[in-house]
Parts: sequence; structure tokens; C-alpha cells
Amino acid sequence: MSTTKTPQVNEVNEFLEIASDFEDPLEVIRESLSNSYDAGATEVEITIRDRSIGSEIVIEDDGEGMDHADLESFFDLGNSTKRGHQNGSIGYKGHGTKIFYKSEEVLVNTTKNGTNLRAQMDQPWEKLNNRTMPEYVLNEETVKEGNSGTHIRITGFKSGYGFSPASLTYNKIEHYLKWKTLAGSTGHFFTDDFREMEITVILGDEIDDTRDRLVMNNKLEFPSEQREPGEGQFSESRMCKHYPPRELTAETENGTETTVEVVGMVGGKDARNELPTYGKHSAQFGVWLAKDHIKVERVNDTISHDNEFLHFFFIANCQDLELSANREKIRNKSSPVYQTIVEELSHYLSKIASDPWFKDYLSHRRKAKLTRRAESQQSSIEKREQRIHERDRFTPSNDAEVVLGLERSNRFGAEPEITIEDYDPNAEVNALVRQDTNLYASSIHRRLTDHFKADKPLESVDKIICWSYGDRDELSELERSGYHSGEVTIDLEKNRLIYNNGRRHNIHIVTVQDRL
Amino acid sequence: MAPSGSQRLDDGLFEIISEAGDARSGVLRIDDTELETPNLLPVVNFYAGGTDSSLYGGGIHRTIKEFINGDDVVNGGDYSRYFDGVMTSVSSLTDYGISRERYEDYISEPIRDRDVFDFNGTLFLDSGGFKFLGDGTLDGSDFEVEVDQEAIVEIQRKLGGDVLVNLDRPIEPDDDYLTRVEKARLTAENVDEFLNLTTRDDTRYLTLHGYNYSMLDTFLTEIEKVIGQDRVHREFDGVALGSLVPLKDNKGKLITAVSDCREVLSDWGFEELPLHVLGISSSAIPLLAAVGADTFDSSSYIHSAINGKYDTSLYNSEPIDEVDFTECDCQVCSDDVLVNRMEGNVEYQKDKLGTVAMHNLIIQKEEIKRIQSAIQTPGDEALISYIEQSLGREKSMQQHAHRVVNESLGGYF
Repeated sequence: MSTTKTPQVNEVNEFLEIASDFEDPLEVIRESLSNSYDAGATEVEITIRDRSIGSEIVIEDDGEGMDHADLESFFDLGNSTKRGHQNGSIGYKGHGTKIFYKSEEVLVNTTKNGTNLRAQMDQPWEKLNNRTMPEYVLNEETVKEGNSGTHIRITGFKSGYGFSPASLTYNKIEHYLKWKTLAGSTGHFFTDDFREMEITVILGDEIDDTRDRLVMNNKLEFPSEQREPGEGQFSESRMCKHYPPRELTAETENGTETTVEVVGMVGGKDARNELPTYGKHSAQFGVWLAKDHIKVERVNDTISHDNEFLHFFFIANCQDLELSANREKIRNKSSPVYQTIVEELSHYLSKIASDPWFKDYLSHRRKAKLTRRAESQQSSIEKREQRIHERDRFTPSNDAEVVLGLERSNRFGAEPEITIEDYDPNAEVNALVRQDTNLYASSIHRRLTDHFKADKPLESVDKIICWSYGDRDELSELERSGYHSGEVTIDLEKNRLIYNNGRRHNIHIVTVQDRL
Repeated sequence: MAPSGSQRLDDGLFEIISEAGDARSGVLRIDDTELETPNLLPVVNFYAGGTDSSLYGGGIHRTIKEFINGDDVVNGGDYSRYFDGVMTSVSSLTDYGISRERYEDYISEPIRDRDVFDFNGTLFLDSGGFKFLGDGTLDGSDFEVEVDQEAIVEIQRKLGGDVLVNLDRPIEPDDDYLTRVEKARLTAENVDEFLNLTTRDDTRYLTLHGYNYSMLDTFLTEIEKVIGQDRVHREFDGVALGSLVPLKDNKGKLITAVSDCREVLSDWGFEELPLHVLGISSSAIPLLAAVGADTFDSSSYIHSAINGKYDTSLYNSEPIDEVDFTECDCQVCSDDVLVNRMEGNVEYQKDKLGTVAMHNLIIQKEEIKRIQSAIQTPGDEALISYIEQSLGREKSMQQHAHRVVNESLGGYF
């Protein structure tokens, strides 16, 4: 006997899972902006207050409002009325608004076509955690036509650990909105009838009292172009070139066609700083893949490795990308279409990297660096000059200067004449010197003690040439404890070092400072 | 540097019809022959299999000549359009240890006049400096001719070359400055003699050797020192850039050599002269044509075939035994008899590989037609688009493709 069974879905758990993905109150803002935009709003105002019971978030827009069906899909899971992308809407999965369930109360007040609907859901998060499905109470009344719009109030939003609204600032919100939401849309580069939306964010004074409100549009705008270098030490840092919008069309290996809309800029640090940056440049710049013209993930390996991605800021939009529920990740990375997008982008970016302007910018950058290095060299020269003026006699500061000191002593008539015939600073016995007619294997160091510090052998050395003896106590310790399993005796009077490791070695010590 | 502006007497040999950036397309008219540029001259060895008595000799070279003739043994098609210009070298004789008698017989009649060939294209006759004087391993001792400039001109004339090239001393990448200057001086002495042995009725190409502007400028300066400013400017009808074969796998250096050569020629007042690039072909052709090379020659179509490679484009090839011939619609692959040969149903390897070589040549010639047409399309866009769609999609070629677009065609942005 066979039976047919249908797999069951645990609805409560599904809601819990989806809502749990969202932690940051900023994500509430992101989802709300998308909803308002999809509802045709031209203005949206978001207010966030930090209350003792949790945060309160109010979103108000002048969009077309919701009817019964819209409101149902607002609360339902995976039941968006905004099917597909044919009407250019951003949300279509019916996941985004489930973030609102993480709260004490959801209150929706919306008006569409002369009907006002008021829905109130009490303790949704607590109920979900108690494994009961939260319900909402719906009231309907007729109002006069023409005043459409939606007002949503979320009370007691449960942000995740580390995402307290108290940590928000206008600054952080502006950066977030421009980087992660439709407020930073690149759509306007690609269409003439781009719909603008004014976004207002109000934070309670208890969160940020530095200003009343933040108002912005929904367009990503690049810093102004400056193709020539500026003045000063970092002349390249305000250089900036825009690369106009391009539509790249390519065929995937299974024969479907995909279009990538790419726009971007290349610029120095100062130019990049004029963008609403959110975190480190290394975490932000490069090449972004976007959907609905909202940045999702970076694909910096589309820029060849001999170029630093930091200078680039490109946004490549493709509607064939599929995103995870929280829009943070691209899901179809193993698909042919994704491979095609990446190949197409790599090719396009190879052109940017070969653009003579970009090469020119890099060369200005190098030049500025060299100039700064030359300047720091100059200041180091000045410091060294200062030291020469301050000292009363030549004093070597390294081994090579001891060599020069020795030659100088010969010139000034020091006896006996000791000339250096061969000097190899990397050899253990670093010099061969001539005295009278004989050659002597020698070790040249600034101080006698340096020879021992360098752990060099004594057996093969006839002379140790140094500027001075160095720390005499160190030498005494060597005499006390021995060196390389032999005994060391230093006769300062006779400038002689005797080393005995079974065989006796007589080593002549030349102190150059005494010859000058 | 020499002042520019002296007029050559023999104008009208090379007519530039259209330009795209530094690339140009034109017509080279010599006597009754016309050659559209840019163009590729296949290297043909007319000696091997080039006499009645060598019916079974000559190997793959013989098969190529059968294609030139459209002989019945290659199923009689007309392939003459792929042999509108041909390069052959005096030095091809030295590959065969031939006797004096054989040599005299071979050079006794101009190639175009011989009954065994039905060849009507433009014949470039290289001096063979690369083989005679480059590696020093070959000389004319087998046929008891001392190879000097005089002997070379005699052979070039007897074979009926349309374009004559002086005997030169190729340079090597490792040559130091003084070696290069000495080679230039020796070449200059040959050039002096070459000019004395030929007249303005001949079409004469001056060989240049150098990898960048300064080297080429030094080379020309040495030539000028020996033959004088006036002759340098008045006597030559074209320029052949040599010594690039050792750089053939370094596209970046090839581009530099050719674009610098054009710059030197322009600064010396030779801008209107056609520029031939000796011994370079295949995937370098679009890049070098884009920076202003007018003609190329190459034997790579034969070498590929001998190595069992069947070209599918300028950049790719497949092992001959794995090819699906239905995917190519060239004249060779559309001929069942010839496909059958390429599939290996032949007694002699030459009939299989020679046929593959003909196919390979068609691939290169068809590509050069596309380049011509891109240059002839008004504006730079067609050529940019051609380079992008062809080379720009090959990872190893991309940076070079971008470079020529940026340097010669005004860039993408």
C-alpha cells in the first residue's frame, strides 16, 4: 500500500528563523525604505527613539498605501504582492517586513483609495518565542480620497547584541544609508525617469542631539572629477575620474543573455573621503555587485592583482543576481550567469586599469611618494650635517667609516701605514690589509667588543681594527669567562690580544682613533 | 637626427587609403601587381618541389605550390587570392645543399615566368641576412657562391623579385651598444652597394634593426653616415623592420618596436613609406597593424601544420587529429577531397599537412581582411571594437589589446 504525504512547514519556526536573521535597527530602516519606494513614495520619514522598553521606530511615507491584500502580505511570510521585478520593485520575497516581528508591538496605519486600515499586533516576538502565532487586530474606516500613505510604528524593537540604537549617530546612519540601502542607488545613472525620494531620519535627542534631522536623496553621487594633480605633498590624493555608466551585455554558457550596468570612479584618498564612507576604505572600495542598484557584495578579484582595488569604486548592477533573505549575500554564485557577470566585469575593469589616466594617476602617486621620500632624505641630511657641526672630531658611526678613518690616518701620516687592499663587509674576516709588505687577515669593527658580539672567530684573524675598544668591562668579562672554548687575554698597553684554545694566537689590535 | 622633407622621386607606389589611429590601410602598386594592406605574405619556398624533376620531392612546400597553381592534385580550386603577395628568401636555397649546376638552373628564369608556377602576386625577395649573417651557420659554399651583397642582388633579380631587400646584419637581444653600431655600419656598407647595384626602377626596401626608438635612430644614423643624407631620403620605397623574431613571444616588446619604428620613420621624414615587419605573424598581426605595420610575412602556417596544429583563429589551434572540419567554412574545409586528406587518408604526409597549412594560411588571411575592413571603416570605433572582440577577450592578450587601443586609437574613455 502506498500513501502520499506532503511535507509540513512549522510556520512559527519559519517566522522565528527569518526574523532572527535581522539584528540591526539599521536593517529596519533599509527594509522600510525599500517598502516605501515600492509603494511609490516620494518622501519618507524615519524616527528612532531609545526607550526603556526597547527602541521605537516610526516610518511614515506618502506612498500609495496598503489595501487588505497588501496588509496581509505585509504580515504574511513569503507572500509578497510585489511579484517579480516587472514593476521595478525591490522587495518581492515577503521576507523584509518580518524584521518588525522582533518587537513588543507593531502598529500599521495605512490609507489607500479612501480606505484607512489600522492593524495592531501585540507582543509578536514574545509569542513567537512561546511558539504561538501572533495575531493582529484590523480596523477599517472610510476616509476622503487623496490622502494615501503609510505610518508604521514599531515599539520595543529587539536589536541584537551590539546593535543598540543608543550607539547610532546621524553620521553612522548617513554612511549606512548611502552604502547599504537604496539611498545609495546608482539607478539614476541608467534611466531618465528615475524616481527621486526624499529621506528624512530623525533620532531622539537621547540617541544623537547634534542635529535635528538628516535629509538626503536616494542617489549615489561621486565626488567631483579632478583629473589633474593638486598642490602639496599628497598631490594625487584629490585626483578623481568618473567612468560613465555602461551596459555590458553578455551571453551565459547556457545561452541566456544578461546585462550588467556598471558605473564608477577611480580616485585618491581625499576624493574617496568625500563619499559617505562607512568604516575602513579597504572594507569599502573596490567593485560592488548590486541588485536593484543597491550594493550587496564586493568582487575585488575582478581587478587584476597588480592593481590595488582601493583606488576603484565601481558598482555593477545585475538583476539576475539572487540574494539571501537579509540581502547581505549573493546566493547564485555557482550559476553560469554569475560566472558571466564576473568575466564581463573583469574584462571591463581591465580597460579601466589600462586607461592612461589611471596610469598617470598612479605615476603621480609614485612621484608624490618619491618627493616625500626625498624631502625626508633632505631632513635626514640636515640632521647629519648638524651632528657633524656639533662634534669636535671625526667619529665613525659604522664599520665602513672605520675603514675611512684608517685611510684618513694614513693620509695624515700615522705610523705604521696600514692600507686596506680588500674589504668585504659580509665576510667573517672582512678585510685584508697591508702593513709593510705583508698582507694580514683583519676584522674591522667600530668597537673591539663588536667582533665578539658578532660571534666571529679569532683563529683566522691577524688583526682586529677598531675605532675604540668599547666597553672595557665587557672585555674583562671575556677574559674571565673565555671565548669559543679558548682563553682571551687583552694587553691594552701593547695593543695585543692573546687567544689560547690549545694553540696560542697573537692578534694585533689597531685602534684607529689613536692614529688620528 | 636628419632633417625631414626631402622628396623621393618614386611617389605613388604606396597609396594610403584610410587610417584609424596609427593604423592604415592602403595599396602597394608594383608594376602590374597590387597588394592591399595591411597584408600578410606567406613565406613560400619556390625551390623545394619547384622544378619538373622534383615531382616527388619538396614535401609540404610542394603542396603549397600546388595550391598556388590550383593544380588538379589539390582538387583544382582557385586559391590565388591567398597568394596576392608572397615572401621568399634567397636563403631558401641554402636549406638544400644544392650543387652549382642546380643553383644556376634554379635562378635561370624569373619565378613568375616559369611554366611550373601559376603565380601572379607581388613577390617580396628577402636577402636572407637572417640566415646568412645572423647565426653564421649557413653560407653559399654548397653551390660555390660567395654570399655578398652583389650575389644577393643578382639572385633577387634573376628570380624576378618585385620588392628587393638589402643584405643586412640582424641584431640579437644580447648585443651591446657597440656590437649593434658595428652591425649597423656593416649593414650600411651593404646598403651602399645595394643602391649602387640597383636603380630607382627597382622597388627597394631598407632593412632596419632595433627594438626601440633610440636603437632605430642610432641604426639610421649609422646608415646615413655611410650612404649620405640625400640617398637615405631619396632612394628607398619601403622599410623592413627585422630582428624581431627572437622577441616573437613578447608582444609588449613587439608593439614597442613597431610603434617606435613608426615614430622614428615619421621623425626622419619617412612617414609615407610602407613598413614591413619581417618574420612576425599570427596573434601579433592585429596589434602591430593597429600601431602602423603595413605588411607581414610568416611561415607559421606551415610550421603549425608540421607540428600537427590546425588553426581555429589567430590565437588558437587544435591538434589536427581532433578537429571537426564541419565547423570551418574555409575553402579547404569545404572541399571533401581535401578534408579527406586532412583526416589522414593519404599516402604522403605532405598531402595531409600541406592541406592543413593551406587552411592555416586562409585563417590568417581572412583575419587580415577583417583588419583591413575595420581600418577602412570611418572613425576609430570599428578597429577598437575589432581589437576588443578578438584579442581583448584572450586573457594573455588583454593588456596588449588595451595598450594599442590607448596608445594608437585614443583609448576607451
